[in-house]
Amino acid sequence: MKYIIIGNGIAGVHAAESIRHIDTSGTIQMISDETTSPYSRPMISHVLAGFTDSQKIHIRPPNFYAQLNIEPLFGKRITQIDIPKKQIHLDANTLDYDRLLIASGADPRPINAEGQDLQNIFFMRTVAQVLQIKKALLKTKRALVLGGGLVGFKAAYGLMHRGIPVTMIIGSQYPLSMQVDPTAGHLILESLRKKGLDVRVGLSVTSFEGKQTVQGAFLSDGTHLSCDLVIIGKGVLPSKAFISDNDIQTQSGILVDQHMTTNNPDIFAAGDVAQCYDIVRQSPWINAIWPEAVLQGRIAGANMTGKSLTHKGSLGRNVIRMFDLDILTAGLVNPPDNSSYIVISDHNARNRYYRKFVFNNNRLIGVVMVNHIEQGGLFLSLIVNQIPIQFPLKNFLTRTFHFGKMLKK
Amino acid sequence: MKTLIVNPQKCLGCMQCMFACATAHSQSKMPFQASLEKPLPRSRIHIGAGQMNEGFPNRCRHCDPAPCLLACLTGAIYRDHDTGSVLIDPEKCINCASCAMACPFGAIRFFTYHSAFGNKTIAMKCDNCMDRRAQDKIPACAQACKTGALTFETLESASKRKTNAIARTISPQGQELSDCQLSDEMNLYNAYKQQLSALC
Amino acid sequence: MMNQNKYQQKTITTDGQLLLKKAEQDQIETVWDRYEEQLPQCGYCEMGLSCRVCMMGPCRIDPFGQGPQKGVCGADADIIVARNIDRMIAAGAAAHSDHGRDLVEVLFKIGKGKAQGYEIKDSEKLRRFAAEYAIYPEDGDNDLSIASKLARALMDEFSTCQSEIFLTKRAPDKRLNLWREAGLIPRGIDREIVETMHRTHMGVDNGWQSILLHGLRTSLSDGWGGSMIATEVSDILFGTPQPQTNAVNVGVLKPDQVNIVVHGHNPVVSEMILHACSLPETKQLLDEKGAKGINVAGVCCTGNELLMRHGVPVAGNHLMSELIIATGAVDAMIVDYQCIMPSLGAVAACYHTKMISTSDKARFPGMVHIEFHPENALNQAKEVVKNAIDNFSNRGDIYLPVEPVTSVGGFSVEAIIKALGGTPDPLIDAIKGGKIRGAVGVVGCNNPKIKHDHGHVTLTKRLIENDILVLDTGCAAIANAKAGFKVAESIQYAGPGLKEVCGALGIPPVLHMGSCVDNARILVLASALANALQVDISDLPLAGAAPEWYSEKAVSIGCYFVASGVYTVLGPMPPITGSMNIVKLLTDGLNDVVGATFAVEPDPEKAADLIQKHIESKRQALGI
Repeated sequence: MKYIIIGNGIAGVHAAESIRHIDTSGTIQMISDETTSPYSRPMISHVLAGFTDSQKIHIRPPNFYAQLNIEPLFGKRITQIDIPKKQIHLDANTLDYDRLLIASGADPRPINAEGQDLQNIFFMRTVAQVLQIKKALLKTKRALVLGGGLVGFKAAYGLMHRGIPVTMIIGSQYPLSMQVDPTAGHLILESLRKKGLDVRVGLSVTSFEGKQTVQGAFLSDGTHLSCDLVIIGKGVLPSKAFISDNDIQTQSGILVDQHMTTNNPDIFAAGDVAQCYDIVRQSPWINAIWPEAVLQGRIAGANMTGKSLTHKGSLGRNVIRMFDLDILTAGLVNPPDNSSYIVISDHNARNRYYRKFVFNNNRLIGVVMVNHIEQGGLFLSLIVNQIPIQFPLKNFLTRTFHFGKMLKK
Repeated sequence: MKTLIVNPQKCLGCMQCMFACATAHSQSKMPFQASLEKPLPRSRIHIGAGQMNEGFPNRCRHCDPAPCLLACLTGAIYRDHDTGSVLIDPEKCINCASCAMACPFGAIRFFTYHSAFGNKTIAMKCDNCMDRRAQDKIPACAQACKTGALTFETLESASKRKTNAIARTISPQGQELSDCQLSDEMNLYNAYKQQLSALC
Repeated sequence: MMNQNKYQQKTITTDGQLLLKKAEQDQIETVWDRYEEQLPQCGYCEMGLSCRVCMMGPCRIDPFGQGPQKGVCGADADIIVARNIDRMIAAGAAAHSDHGRDLVEVLFKIGKGKAQGYEIKDSEKLRRFAAEYAIYPEDGDNDLSIASKLARALMDEFSTCQSEIFLTKRAPDKRLNLWREAGLIPRGIDREIVETMHRTHMGVDNGWQSILLHGLRTSLSDGWGGSMIATEVSDILFGTPQPQTNAVNVGVLKPDQVNIVVHGHNPVVSEMILHACSLPETKQLLDEKGAKGINVAGVCCTGNELLMRHGVPVAGNHLMSELIIATGAVDAMIVDYQCIMPSLGAVAACYHTKMISTSDKARFPGMVHIEFHPENALNQAKEVVKNAIDNFSNRGDIYLPVEPVTSVGGFSVEAIIKALGGTPDPLIDAIKGGKIRGAVGVVGCNNPKIKHDHGHVTLTKRLIENDILVLDTGCAAIANAKAGFKVAESIQYAGPGLKEVCGALGIPPVLHMGSCVDNARILVLASALANALQVDISDLPLAGAAPEWYSEKAVSIGCYFVASGVYTVLGPMPPITGSMNIVKLLTDGLNDVVGATFAVEPDPEKAADLIQKHIESKRQALGI
């Protein structure tokens, strides 16, 4: 059996391990456009902040490929998939496959602004980009971060930790607007500003100006900000340019069923490029997060060998610990104004924590936690397994809620 | 292989296990000295209050597969293949809480530990008392528990005890106190706890 | 229950709910927060199965039958549970009795001219009480000399020189004889408490029944001894209460006056404070500081003492004590002893409130100590008042979100008899005729394990709806006053019979009888009713209830009610479930010994049912 995995990220790695665990003789080829061995992408913000260096964030040892008998093909990009012939085309080569896994991940979403080709304007998706940022930081006097999402948030933290004055420009009214609700969002905003982060809300950048390197930016309200480094974190788009819509069904990402199979039975997808059933949205959605990539990769890999493992569905979730705040979110946290949703929340001013829970059909479908997040996994488990709630909902709000509170004696 | 078995029905919330766990993970391993150490040793088993405000012992189950292990961004969480225990490497942990987000039992906490470099806060959970096992001692929590809520035995022996108890209750002579049958005192106490919690 | 917010889940009172929210915003840790942190509380201790009496231990008994079944000394569950209960009784009795002793000391020192500021307010009661001890005025005797002689006689009640506490003679003969035959007659107030500590020492009394019987005897030395003496001497020194109007809840604090809150138990302190506030020099200080006046309000039992005698308003009961400080309107809180949480100093530190402790027996973190003794009490009181007035200008923002609730208190036995027209006959006739089915003493504290005031108010409501007269004391009395049960219009909540009788007499359906030592007043009233009907107290359609108790004092009170023949229903369970033998004795077997038992029922609705059934069965047995 010839297995080809497009992508060297965590989804591809877990898929390869899954395959090798079951099929010891098939050939596995892993193709990546990056040239480094697999690393922990979430940790690049730690590299930026200086907590670790790029050599220490690898998630598999250097002999990983040799040990599992995998042939790595680095620095290559796919140009085309020939489905009837079951071949993929690289720049110069053509490779045959019996089973193909597309785990090509995602690329940063471009923004609409002039002057983007000036130097010292960066995205922050790969470790290589972070190393470039670090070089530029030596001369940076003031940085601009575009976007209040996960990437922007982490970029701002890393820069501030290095003592660089940062202004964060976000389009919504508070950071992490895709993850949190307004109450938590404003708590976070307040906390960031107390820490000295300059956050401007409801704005975007229309253009950059400078001679060769960026020297300033014009905002949508007409104001001008000087800056000599920009990091753009405006989301990611699945890397599927090499896929023709005629061959493989896509929407925003590559559509897969609960076995991680595309509309073609020999082609699978997993990770940030895959769009699968979302448990709380109850429709296909991309949740481009690390634990999803892990799980989807494992299932896809096993199913590529002929198994029939089922993915319950993906769930958007995140935990962030920085600026003295711990934030954990999962599922649907801003339900539509509809009596079928029950929402309970508590902002405890004394213990400085906030919790919000969203229920539908007697099941938990969303949670936001600010501080005291240690047991958040309990809530995620309730969401993922869609457990009917059989105890008073008010129990959720106590800081001391724990596993035992869910069991009837 | 012997393992830590939890029988939550028997937990009285006395928290001696927490005390013993913290002491077992201190530098001095002695209660009084341990309470003077910096950093203070912390328990990895957590007794929470259940629905009737009764005690519930919550600890890491050393799952296989382990959601925390799969979620860990740095590979700090690994499995010891001899015992099957899921352990955390203090050097590699970056305190990101991805493991806590993945643990369906809420068993992970974050604090610093005397062998954690530079007193950094890291993820901490039950380590199956690996050090004590190496000295042929049973886990500290099981040692401390007097009601049988925490025992150290094989799964087979625990199951057998339970099936024996059930068998006794249905045998013609089966009137004696067993694992299943609680004393009148316990029944009265439990009924009162239930009633009190229902009123809140 | 979802529609109740987290504040409504803790208390039924509006001022409590609003102040809980403020406390949270002000970052104040409350008793409820600390209770949650303590959960789960240890089951060994809740069941009474842990023993710390000696250092061969500490020991515990496994109620699941597999771990240890005996302590190191060999004591089994019955012995351990019995010893633990007895020590609770002893501690509670000690608190009440020591309170009584402090009053006797003042009475004695008045006679010697060494009690500055104190006087004999009720001379008639002094002489009446002295006559009970066969102290009759001789030539040359005045109030002061009679007071000295009476004080000496009362001191003897505390000692070893008697074989019976004299005041037990107030009980009906049948009851007295029952006590004598059962070996329950208390011999000396301090003696019984000391013997309890002796018996419960390792290797002394190891009979669980005899341990408990002595415990009942000790509680009787409180109810018919220490507490009763405290009540009678307080009446002599400060006046026998008569019905008067007062007000209850945090709204009694005034935005433009200096607010002094007195908390604790003994009127020897709070009466002096009140007195000092009325002096001309105080008025002068007030003018200097620009305050419109000085306002004294009470918390807990010392609040009840002032309410009963002077109509002084009460700001709240036990669980409200931290929240009252959180209003920001308390210029000084003066405390003496009992039920004062050591957390108050930390709460006060977040506001301008000055905390002042006054008893050499009671020190607290974060409080200034201005010690009161009978010799210097008035001077110390003036000092305290000056402190409070000085602090008035330090006030920050205040939060007084409610209007006070009016209530009528002051129902001493004397006042009740007076309201009935001079004899207990109208009440007895009403009970005989069935318009009033019976009477219940609703007493006791608050406990975060029971929603604040819900136990007291719900039980009281159900009882009066069913034509049962309620007599209340302590925190329960404050709860019921706050709920609006104590004005003339409150008869609207009563059943038709009770409504008619109370309406005709001009009294509320719930009679505020005072502080926790004033539970002795209920014993006196019960004796009067029993004697009038020529039966024992245990034959009367009476019951007692402590729906939200927490303290060891309450254990003593519950025991002396039952030992006196009054069926008593407790809300929270005492630590007895570790021994079924003891549970059965207390809830059933005691009927054969003292003609009454305990019951435990945390749901006040169900407790009301139990009490109603009990009252009806007593009525039936009496043939009324």
